[in-house]
Amino acid sequence: MATIVAAPAKERGAAGKPGPVGTSGGHLVRKRRLFWPFLTPALVLYVVFLVAPTIVTGVLSFTRWAGAGDTPQFSGFTGYLRMFASDSFRSALVNTLMYVVVGGAGTFLLAFLFTMVLRDMPGGKLVRTILFFPNIVAPVALAMFFSFLFKSDDKGLANFVLGAFGVNPVRFLAPENVTLTVIGALVWASSGFYITILMAAVDRIPPYLYEDAEIAGASAWQKFRAITLPLTWDVVGVAGVLWTINALKVFELVFVLAGPGTYSPPTAAWTLGIYVFDRSFGSQGTPDYGGASACAVVMIALTSVFVVLLRRLMRRDTIQF
Amino acid sequence: MTVADVGRKAPRRPKPAPGAGRRSPLRVLGMVVVLAFSAFNLLVLYWLIAASFKTPVEIFTKPFALPVRWFQLGRPLRNFAYAWDQAGFGDAFLTTVVLVAASSAAIVLVSAPAAYALTRLGVRGSGPLTNLIAVGMGVPFQTVIIPLFIGLSTVHLTDSLFGLFLVYVALSIPFTVFLLTGFFRSLSDEMEEAAAIDGASPLRTFFAVMLPLARGGLITALILNAIGLWNETLLAIVFLQSQAHFTLARALFTFYGAAEYQSEYGGLIAGVTILVLPMLVLYLVLARRIITGLTLGSGK
Repeated sequence: MATIVAAPAKERGAAGKPGPVGTSGGHLVRKRRLFWPFLTPALVLYVVFLVAPTIVTGVLSFTRWAGAGDTPQFSGFTGYLRMFASDSFRSALVNTLMYVVVGGAGTFLLAFLFTMVLRDMPGGKLVRTILFFPNIVAPVALAMFFSFLFKSDDKGLANFVLGAFGVNPVRFLAPENVTLTVIGALVWASSGFYITILMAAVDRIPPYLYEDAEIAGASAWQKFRAITLPLTWDVVGVAGVLWTINALKVFELVFVLAGPGTYSPPTAAWTLGIYVFDRSFGSQGTPDYGGASACAVVMIALTSVFVVLLRRLMRRDTIQF
Repeated sequence: MTVADVGRKAPRRPKPAPGAGRRSPLRVLGMVVVLAFSAFNLLVLYWLIAASFKTPVEIFTKPFALPVRWFQLGRPLRNFAYAWDQAGFGDAFLTTVVLVAASSAAIVLVSAPAAYALTRLGVRGSGPLTNLIAVGMGVPFQTVIIPLFIGLSTVHLTDSLFGLFLVYVALSIPFTVFLLTGFFRSLSDEMEEAAAIDGASPLRTFFAVMLPLARGGLITALILNAIGLWNETLLAIVFLQSQAHFTLARALFTFYGAAEYQSEYGGLIAGVTILVLPMLVLYLVLARRIITGLTLGSGK
């Protein structure tokens, strides 16, 4: 597998110039005739199920619509204004930004710390396999586990352990605490993924660089600053983009941990993903498709802004090694 | 590459000579955190599997002990039986297996030719088209569920497994095409040219030469999609309403509220285990392929 992984990475530089050259003219023409038949099924599905619905959501965000039985009424920006003024949207926005920024900082600090250790740790591959494991578990299942871990009364596992040390029970899942609790859960569940990405990049750094640094008496921090970070910068950037995309849509963990599970949690714990769901398919009250669409537009706008900003921030001349 | 080799299983490989700066405080701290983290993950797994054989009282008062009560009563599998029969996880299991298998296969079937066309046919505009499709990976599902729900309900495909199948296939295309373009791009031109010189038609070249060469990538794409869809919850909640159609993740989501209410914690944890265990087994067998595949897109 390692070779397969390394190969596309090297080839990516040639991505701009499509395709192989050198085949004879007639064959090339016949080959190109395959292009549309091969591409069309995927492209049609992509356009019909992703591009078009995204545009429709954009249009719906300017309407007032209570779903089936009602007809969408154009309402301009009033939907957006109403949304920005509502407490539920504000806490959803703030919480979502908390997940992206605080959770991101936690995850990447942890991942960086781990890169210093895992590079030449005996049994490192096994440790990486164990660290990665939460990533193959359904977020709902993780959420259920955490609900047992953090139950507010002394039934919860965390309070059980704290109790053994004489600490009073902590209300981890109360609306005012739940965001921090879920950030912790999210960092735990996803750091394995980012550690693996970064370690794949670290493994490509020639070991003699570290050996030279070692001879020169560099500390772990100096090696990280002078070798690991500069030489994995591109991958850190991509990992940052992936984190942003994933953290912005956090849903199941919060929905299950903060609420009773079957209907929406208290608004103080909401995220943008929960806002969209609650206003459209949440089982309480009449749906508000217009408001939900407006929030969905905010989600995709935030994703774009963050991704562009990160790319700007991380852009730098690539170091060849 | 020696770095990678050291970690691999070969046990008698001499350890790297301990360098001068090995004992720095940061390194020690890191080592402690790494080990604590790994231990916690293993403990979670142990807790989950042990708890799925316990009574609620045991779950809460003896969280780290081995299960006893149901074994004494001669019904060790009581929680699993409850989840499987009463909570509908048995039907959901079959539904999920069929849906996930069909969807994953269809995704690769649609995406592989597209990825091939975008990387190896030398058509102008392939690069921008690839990027256009890859951008789809950044679109949160929340952005598309409302129009999709309305659209599918007009053709009576909501609360239908076929409707969810279509949604799964379509929404998995960006990631899969992106993943497979990487694999196709990495193949050398020589085999393709040799096939052309031998007079194979482009279609034949694709099926007889390129697909087998990209087999590793196709299998990886299949597995990653299977894991992703097995665990998928949001779309299943939106598009499936009647219990008869529930997938495992969907069934668990619904069972959660009821289980809390009835204090049916044993059955709930057994349900979690039924959802998690197949993926765990898959992971134990295929860890390397899953990890490298999932992290592939970022390697540059």
